This record gives sequence, C-alpha cells and structure tokens, in this order.
Amino acid sequence: MGNNKYKILIVEDDRSILGFVQTILEANGYQVLTAERCAQGLLVFSSHIPDLVVLDLGLPDLDGTEFIRQARALSAVPIIVLSARTEEADKVSALDLGANDYITKPFGTAELLARVRAALRSGRLSPQATPASRFTVDDLVIDYDRRQVTVAGSPVHLTQTEYNILAFLSQHTGKVMTYAAIIREIWGSMDDGSVKKLQVNMANIRKKLGCRPGDSRYVTNELGVGYRMLDE
Amino acid sequence: MQSKKRALLDFGRMAGILALAFAVNLILRRLFNTQTMTPMIFVLGVFLVAWRTQGYLWGILASLISVFAVNFAFTYPYWEFNLIRPECLSSAVVMLVVSIMTSALTTKIKRQEQMKAEAEKERMRGNLLRAVSHDLRTPLTSIYGACSAMLENFDEIPRETHMKLLSDVCSDAQWLVRMVENLLSVTRIDADGVSLAKNDTVLEELIDTVLVKFHKHYPQQAVHLGIPDDFVSIPMDAMLISQVLMNLLENAVFHAKGMKNLWLRVEVRGGWAYFSVEDDGCGIPEEKLPKLFTGMLDSEAPTDLSRSSMGIGLSVCSAIIKAHGGDIWAKRRPEGGTEVGFRLEMEDHHGEQQI
Repeated sequence: MGNNKYKILIVEDDRSILGFVQTILEANGYQVLTAERCAQGLLVFSSHIPDLVVLDLGLPDLDGTEFIRQARALSAVPIIVLSARTEEADKVSALDLGANDYITKPFGTAELLARVRAALRSGRLSPQATPASRFTVDDLVIDYDRRQVTVAGSPVHLTQTEYNILAFLSQHTGKVMTYAAIIREIWGSMDDGSVKKLQVNMANIRKKLGCRPGDSRYVTNELGVGYRMLDE
Repeated sequence: MQSKKRALLDFGRMAGILALAFAVNLILRRLFNTQTMTPMIFVLGVFLVAWRTQGYLWGILASLISVFAVNFAFTYPYWEFNLIRPECLSSAVVMLVVSIMTSALTTKIKRQEQMKAEAEKERMRGNLLRAVSHDLRTPLTSIYGACSAMLENFDEIPRETHMKLLSDVCSDAQWLVRMVENLLSVTRIDADGVSLAKNDTVLEELIDTVLVKFHKHYPQQAVHLGIPDDFVSIPMDAMLISQVLMNLLENAVFHAKGMKNLWLRVEVRGGWAYFSVEDDGCGIPEEKLPKLFTGMLDSEAPTDLSRSSMGIGLSVCSAIIKAHGGDIWAKRRPEGGTEVGFRLEMEDHHGEQQI
C-alpha cells in the first residue's frame, strides 16, 4: 500500500500551518514531504520528484515564485500556491509562471483537499499525454475532432474564438488559466483591449452554455486573475 | 508643475478680484462723487483673495496693491502717488494693517477647517479600532478557553463535548477571519483612496464570485438575483466591492430576523450602477438608520450576544464605497425589511463590440 500513495511536498515556513496541512493530507492517505525553506524544498523536489507541491509564496530565503521557475525547469508537476491576501500580484505571476492553482489563506480542510485532488488529476492528464478526442464535465461535452460542444445532449453554437477559448480551458482542466495565458494562446499577443475582448467572449460562452451567476457548473471565474475549467 | 499651475491660478484670481474692486470704485466715484466706500471695497477684495487662494502670500500681496491703488487713484491728489502728505500715509498704513489681518485671519480659519476634517477622520478610525478590539476579544476568549479546557482535561471530557468545543472554536475562528478581512480592506484604503486597485470588472463575474462564496457559507439561504442581461463592465477594486456585497448579504443573514427572501439587484441608469441588497426580515428601527455606517452600533450595545460586527462591516462598506467615489444608503422597505444600496460610477461601454 505504501508504494502507490501520492507524494506531496509542502514548502511552508510557518510550523503550525505546515503541521495542520501535513495532518490533513496524511489523514487522507497521502505521503507528505516537508520543507521550511525554498532551497531545502528544491533539494527535496529534485531528489524525491513528488506528485504535487503545495507552496507558500512568502518564504524567508527565496521568493516562492523562484521555486516555481526552478521546479518548472525540471518537471511539469502540479503546484498549488498558498497565498495571503496581501500577495495578490504574486499570485498572478505565480500562475503565469506555471503554478496550477492557488488557495487564499485562511482556508479550510475541504477546500484544500478538493484543490489537491483536482491538481493531482490534472497532473495525470498532462499535455504530454495523448490528447483525448473528447472532454466531459457534468453534462457538457466537447468533441475535439468535430469541434462541437453539447450541453445535455443538445448542440451549442459557439463562434471560432469562443470554441477555441473553451477548448483551451478544457485542455488545462482544473488549472487556473490567467487572462494573459489565454490571450497569448488565442490571439497571440496582448494589447490594451485584450482582456475586455476575452471577458466579452466569456460572457457569451456563459450565456450560450446557460450558466447563471452563482451556479458555475463548467467554468469558474477567478476575479481579476483568469478562468478555470472544472473537472468534477 | 502642479504648484506652478496652482500659483498661476491664484495669481489670476487675485488680479481679477483686485481689478474688479478697482472698477467698482471708479464707477462708485462717478455715481456718488464720494470715496468713503473705497477702502471698504478694497478690504472686501483682499478678503476674497485670501479666501480663494492658498497661503498668506496672495492676501498680503493683494493688500499692498490695494494700498497703492487707493493712494494712487482714490486719494487726493488723484492719479499720482503721494506718500508724503500725512493723511495719505496714515490711511495707507491703517488699510495695510486691516487688510493684512483680514487675510491672515481667513487663512487661519481655512487651516482650522482642514484640521477639523482630519480630526474627524481620526475619530472615525479610533471608533472603528475600539469597536474592533472589543469584538475581537470575545471570540478570542472563547477559543482560548475551549482549547485550554481540551488540552488540560483531554481524557475527562466526553467525546461529544470535544466535538462541541471544537466546532465552537471553528466558528469563532471563521468569524475572526471575516473580521480580519474587513480590517485588511480598511487598511488598504488610504485617506485619499489612492491605493484602490481599480480594474474594469465584469458585473456578472463579480456577482458570480460573490454568490459562489455566499452559497458555500450559507447553503440554505437562496438569493433572488436581478442583474442586467447586457455585458456590463464597471471600474472598481473587485476584491473590495465583492467584500461589500458579501458583508451586506451576511448582515441580512445575521440580523434580519424572520427573513424569508433575500434579493440582490443591480441596475444601470444615468451613468451609475445601482446595487441593492434587500430582505424581508425584521427591519432596522428608523432612529438607528443614520448611525448605521459610522461603526458606533456595537460600542453602544456591548452586551450584544450575537457578536454582530454589523457596525464594523457597514462602516467598512461605507469607507470602500466612498473611496470609489460612490454613495451608500440604507432604508426601511415599505413592505417590511431593509434595503441597503450603493452606487458606483460606470464607464462608457457603448463603444463595446463583440469580437
């Protein structure tokens, strides 16, 4: 049993947060490695190759974003960032650097576990894996071969751009995609009106998928950060 | 650059007011053939200059110019300077003293008003701080008490009691989290509101974020939603405004006793976005409405067991909305219950095109 447990590395300098995160994860059947410093974390990371990293952004020795930069050079292991409310700008740059998700402190057990499960799933379907021909979440189905989207069996008529955005999000399901990342993928370059262009497209997508505010079944919006395709 | 522009503007004001005083005097002399009013009108001019300009400089300059103008044009001999005749000299000195004192007095009053406004702001902050410290103490006491009770008597306490104590600790901690988030928001708002991170925010996404969070905390409470169908984007600090909405919704849950329905509505008219949170609960007594946003409610009722924090929540809301250049208000609904609303200035989104 011990071998097939997921290995999770926690990099966090605050002992009590480290302690309770470790307790929660171990109680839910994960194997936990810990580090209190960025440099130590990178060492553990390269020697143990964990399946997931939970990373605090405010570390005493190096900036957490530096960890992401160096870890991404080694592997595509999913990274969840723990951020305090005062580190909003860092959060976006962490996501842009390749972090999968963020949790704002303070957070509860349920939230942490849900994010960990989602990140581990998205780690399994990394872009290197053979692309599936279809994507399903709830009653939404995206057929990549025929470029067709259906909700509860009935087709949804999206424009080219809208389809591209939705498909792009679905290929990174569970991961928060920043405005910059989506715009780079869809339009190539970023200018003053890009974010608004994206937001207008997203509004149309939501309308066509029949989403009401407060009931986002397929795509959640992360205010001021980006969008995330749900995966459960 | 800015100060240069301001100085130029003040100079313009001074020149304009003095020229006007000069012209009025000329007209009066022609009409009534007397000069008794002349110094009075110049003193009035100096007073206006001191009132409309920054600092002492312009007022004193204006008084000097006035003295010369009176001496030159309005005292015998006309249209020439005469500082030798004793009556000319003494009238000039008296006028100089009067106008300088007027100018100094006006400037001083302006300074005092500024200080008073600052003191008022300080007082608001002090009130908030007092209310907060009071409100923080209660949950901290109960968390500390419950934890030490469990640590010291772990084996004696039955399992159910452990669970009960722990869930109390949990809800107290959650309450503290909300409180601290509110405080963080207050510290982010500078006195002049410059530290706002204003971004164009899509209304639908804002409401979605708020409702998702609200439903997570209060799954039983449905919210009736009314927002425009169009794409609406409003410049705001989305983090702070979503906190305002969250505070308003939570207040309804905590305080509107007997509430069955909760509404969240947004309307766009006349260049403003009007947000309102309405409930059909017990309502707020008319006499309490004006004090709702001042942070004074809780300190007036320190024995409130519900540990409301409503006063703090609402004064935070008010500070956030004011920093955005909007307004916030509360009123009793004619059908019963409370409506708390605020408005934010819209940007022009008519040029928007679908791509």
